[in-house]
Amino acid sequence: MAKQYDVLFRLLLLGDSGVGKTCLLCRFTDNEFHPSHISTIGVDFKMKTLEIDGIKVRIQIWDTAGQERYQTITKQYYRRAQGIFLVYDITSERSFQHIMKWASDVDEYAPDKVQKILVGNKSDEEQKRQVATAQGNKLAKAYGMDFFETSAFTNHNITESFTRLAELVLQANKKDLDVLRVSINDKLNLAALEEEEGVCDSSSDAQKTCWC
Amino acid sequence: MSLLGDHESAEDGILHGNDCQRVDQYGFEQPDDLNHEIYEEMMSEYLTLLSRRSVKWSRLLKENTKVEKNLKVKRYVRKGVPNEYRALIWMAASGAQQHLQMNHGYYDSLLRGRHDHHLEQTIRTDLHRTFPDNIHFRDSSQLCLQTALFNVLLAYGHHNKDIGYCQGMNFIAGYLLIITKDEEKSFWLMDALLGRILPDYYTTAMLGLKTDQEVLGELVKVKVPGVWQAMTQHNVMWTLVVSRWFLCLYIDILPMETVLRIWDCLFYEGSKILFRVALTLIRHHQNLIQQAQNLPDICERFKLITRGEFVEDCHAFIQNIFTEPGSLSMATITKLRETCRDRIQAQESGC
Repeated sequence: MAKQYDVLFRLLLLGDSGVGKTCLLCRFTDNEFHPSHISTIGVDFKMKTLEIDGIKVRIQIWDTAGQERYQTITKQYYRRAQGIFLVYDITSERSFQHIMKWASDVDEYAPDKVQKILVGNKSDEEQKRQVATAQGNKLAKAYGMDFFETSAFTNHNITESFTRLAELVLQANKKDLDVLRVSINDKLNLAALEEEEGVCDSSSDAQKTCWC
Repeated sequence: MSLLGDHESAEDGILHGNDCQRVDQYGFEQPDDLNHEIYEEMMSEYLTLLSRRSVKWSRLLKENTKVEKNLKVKRYVRKGVPNEYRALIWMAASGAQQHLQMNHGYYDSLLRGRHDHHLEQTIRTDLHRTFPDNIHFRDSSQLCLQTALFNVLLAYGHHNKDIGYCQGMNFIAGYLLIITKDEEKSFWLMDALLGRILPDYYTTAMLGLKTDQEVLGELVKVKVPGVWQAMTQHNVMWTLVVSRWFLCLYIDILPMETVLRIWDCLFYEGSKILFRVALTLIRHHQNLIQQAQNLPDICERFKLITRGEFVEDCHAFIQNIFTEPGSLSMATITKLRETCRDRIQAQESGC
């Protein structure tokens, strides 16, 4: 069976309730924007395949409920992630201040190698802005993260931010990636790159390229 | 009527609300892919059945000034409460009516008192995100239920400070308002559900929710072992597939008419019903779930099993939940809840 992708990994969207995590995701995976949608309860995910440096990357993006108490459920997913979006809303100072708390939770529960980027969403709502671009930049710099201001509404910087995080995850797993590059020329090995964790858990070959 | 406000000049890919869309009796827009012919046929059959039930209920309620708990009423509830009696039966069966009468003026006093600003803000974030597909919950609606929703949630948050506001409660309060059309009754029904009928699903630790997810896992292990194996093999945590089922009491998971029938039993018989529904869905579709190849596939199938004729035919579905999962005693549930709760607490304190 022809494989539809070479590598699979998981990204996680974190941030306060109402900052637009689900909207970012819907725009990225389906190019849709719902002016009104229901609040996310628990955890949900969507998938999309990207091509980066000739490698087909299948990403599973996990969307979480933003209310603080839901972390008791969602933090179980942190350790399964290779990349994390820390999202705030540029029209909400409070959501920006909370980034520090989200970042420290990530430090506590996510793997050490996890890649993070900072996202200030709702950039189209300039008239309601409470967080200056410079503030976002400064915070991202302090954490050593890349920073994007996005708008799910106007489709501004959506593909850019998702692709960037995917690239960072690929780079951070460079060693495994080299194994993959070799195996791309090797049909037998490529065929062994089976889907998902069920197989990954039992096959060491697959584990090299599936960072579940 | 525009849903888009000042966003009208935005780019492609923005989904516009369709003004001409059909709306059901509760104010929900019917989905585009709804097969109206099949739907109308099913509803007309169901309405005939309901009118028969209605005659029986009206006779029962004439004979008894008070709704008592007995086998006859239990049978009546399982066969469905007609919409005109729903608020009355829910209020009586859950004890909400009694609490309302004993605490006359309490609801108003909660709204008149000083309000927690943070609580207000948290609730406001979800007002626009509660049933945007229901015409009664839109700003533009003449009888906009958003204010009522805000009031009920705010009052409840002050009434029960251990819970305050938890996302998911917005949907429950929304349904209660649609059915009772009364803030105070909705408030006391929330109090019955969250304070007495359900375990501690919505508190900050959400321990009751985590417990019930595990309890369901244990029940599936015994009653539908093949599905339990598939879940284990693909490393799927129960929370991923069922947390919304429990937290939202099947709102937005199952068709509304089916959810209301489940709630009839929930108010009368208690939280055990939630397991009966979950087990019925899982057991009936066990082959479909077991054929899943990986985690996303399992999640997809858990969404599939909540759709289609099996759940849309609410009357047959409710009959199924009392046969399909087999016997399920409250003693078993209580014992499993204790075991699972201890296990979770031990795990959490060990971290």
